Amino acid sequence: MIYELTRDDMEKLYQRISQEYETFGAKEELGEVIFSRISSFSEVSEEKSSYSPKDFLIKRSENILEVPRADKKAVFGVKSCDLRGFQIMDLQILNKDPFYTVRRENTIFVNFVCNEMCNGGFCTSFGGPVLDRYDIQVLHRDGKYFVQADDRYERFLTGFKISQDQNVFSRHSQEFLQRYGKIDLNGIEKRMKWNSKLWSEFASYCISCGACNYSCPTCYCIDVYDDETGRKKEWDSCILEGFTRTAAGNVRPELSDRLRQRFYHKFKYYKLSKGEYLCTGCNRCVDDCPVDIDIKEVITHDYDKE
Amino acid sequence: MKPIKFRMETDDTYTMVFSKKTDSHAGQFYMLSVDGVGESPISVASGFCNPLTFSIKAVGSVTRYIMEHRDAEIGLRGPYGNVWPWKGSDHIVAIAGGIGIPPIKALIEDMESEGNLHDLTVLYGARSPRDIVYRNEIEAWKKKLDFRVTVDSGDSSWNGHVGVVTTLIPGVDEFRKGRAFVIGPPIMMKFSVQELLKNGFSPENIYLSLERRMECGIGVCGHCNLGQWYVCESGPIFRYSDVMNEPELFL
Ligand SMILES: Cc1cc2nc3c(=O)[nH]c(=O)nc-3n(C[C@H](O)[C@H](O)[C@H](O)COP(=O)(O)OP(=O)(O)OC[C@H]3O[C@@H](n4cnc5c(N)ncnc54)[C@H](O)[C@@H]3O)c2cc1C
Ligand code: SF4
Ligand code: SF4
Ligand code: FES
Repeated sequence: MIYELTRDDMEKLYQRISQEYETFGAKEELGEVIFSRISSFSEVSEEKSSYSPKDFLIKRSENILEVPRADKKAVFGVKSCDLRGFQIMDLQILNKDPFYTVRRENTIFVNFVCNEMCNGGFCTSFGGPVLDRYDIQVLHRDGKYFVQADDRYERFLTGFKISQDQNVFSRHSQEFLQRYGKIDLNGIEKRMKWNSKLWSEFASYCISCGACNYSCPTCYCIDVYDDETGRKKEWDSCILEGFTRTAAGNVRPELSDRLRQRFYHKFKYYKLSKGEYLCTGCNRCVDDCPVDIDIKEVITHDYDKE
Repeated sequence: MKPIKFRMETDDTYTMVFSKKTDSHAGQFYMLSVDGVGESPISVASGFCNPLTFSIKAVGSVTRYIMEHRDAEIGLRGPYGNVWPWKGSDHIVAIAGGIGIPPIKALIEDMESEGNLHDLTVLYGARSPRDIVYRNEIEAWKKKLDFRVTVDSGDSSWNGHVGVVTTLIPGVDEFRKGRAFVIGPPIMMKFSVQELLKNGFSPENIYLSLERRMECGIGVCGHCNLGQWYVCESGPIFRYSDVMNEPELFL
């Protein structure tokens, strides 16, 4: 069911949710849009956050000898691409990582559907920006807020006006696609070549900072290690040399091996094992790469011509 | 948990036995940990229901710490991973190189408890006589099953076979219709597979136990992939014909 809410209604919706959940939102602070505590809907920015909300479910670093806590949180103003990141990660780590799982189950993401394609974004290639699965999905368009909720959260919407236009999301999706087009993935999982020059070319300027992984809403790899204060899990990066190093050797000693792994994981391995690409087209990895490596080139590259 | 027995096998390899009964089957592994030091995947070296045993080569922080602190409290998580598919096969040829031998010890014990030892041949290659693990057990095994040992290079005390373990493979070609299980360093596995194929074993009947950096053992940390698979989750044992086209297989 799609509801049509006014700005005041959105505030009421916020109030209803905030009675049960601790509320967070994308918020403009010192020129950046970051997620922090909010006390009203009016504080929520509709701009894309500077960082993905990954940290809500996978902490940058935490002690895993502690018991996962089931804190109820609602996060407003997540972009669809970032929410989709969690949905894709779910396929691998939900019900396996106890910390991710308990947080996933106790967090509501209220995603905002974009009206314009963000700079460099290519979410249309992965079916965005309108999602077919969501907790609470909001489209702010023509001065109105169109809202739909998953069955679990439909109760928050009871009493609000039911929209006359029950196709507004799918129409928006079509219009968006028409306006921005999409990069044709064109069976990328079959097109990429193991020995492509692309990997060594990228390696010639990549500085192994790992920013691409940290910014990515689908990168879930973690480093598990011990220190004086306990056993930690921390965001890891497959670009770093130690990622596969063992006492016996290293499967991917060269940077080009590791870059290839990143793209193969995103566009081939995950597709084969889980049926989805491990990418939502958010472009964060491109925005954050200090040497402008563009993942879109991996998709558009003509491997047969090499 | 603390081991009830601790024995040095070689200068750098030791065996620990716990009072807990083995609740895994041959091929599976545990994550062993020491608080403040770290966690490591280690194969179970004992058969189902026998006292839980591990044999470990000291190579890095965790494995060395345990050797140097024999009364350390050891954390155990598991068992994880799949098992050697020995049931329903004619004959098994298990080929182990170096510290690949512990899960073959588990295999011997599992097959023994079901009365199947006559269906097993083990080829074990160590670098030198000093590097042979399970010296005592090997003497007993030789009486119970077809167990063949070789060393890469011998010394004055050695009057057994000398040569890398692959040189023993032509001698087991009569079992080519059975299954081969291979575990050891990547190079050893690569040449063993080549030799097995040359001697008439089929890719569908060759199984490899792979070693990858593992940090979680449960498909969460992302470190141990071979192509589309996480070795901790879908392995550590893979059928060669399923993974033969993976460029990173023998790395
Ligand atoms: C399924 C499996 C079964 C194994 N069984 C045995 C066994 O029975 N006996 C034995 O001696 N060794 C075994 N190994 C190898 C053993 O796990 C490593 O030697 C050990 O993890 C090294 O840890 P460390 O802390 O001493 O070394 P460091 O180099 O200090 O390692 C730091 C961390 O890296 C990871 N790591 C490093 N090397 C390896 C490696 N080779 N494989 C996986 N993770 C690694 C671990 O998380 C480790 O804690 C097995 C490996 C796997 C994957
Ligand atoms: S565009 Fe980059 S950051 Fe965004 S999901 Fe894809 S790989 Fe991750
Ligand atoms: S962000 Fe760019 S430079 Fe940094 S590791 Fe990723 S690809 Fe390399
Ligand atoms: S060890 Fe973490 S995914 Fe396999």
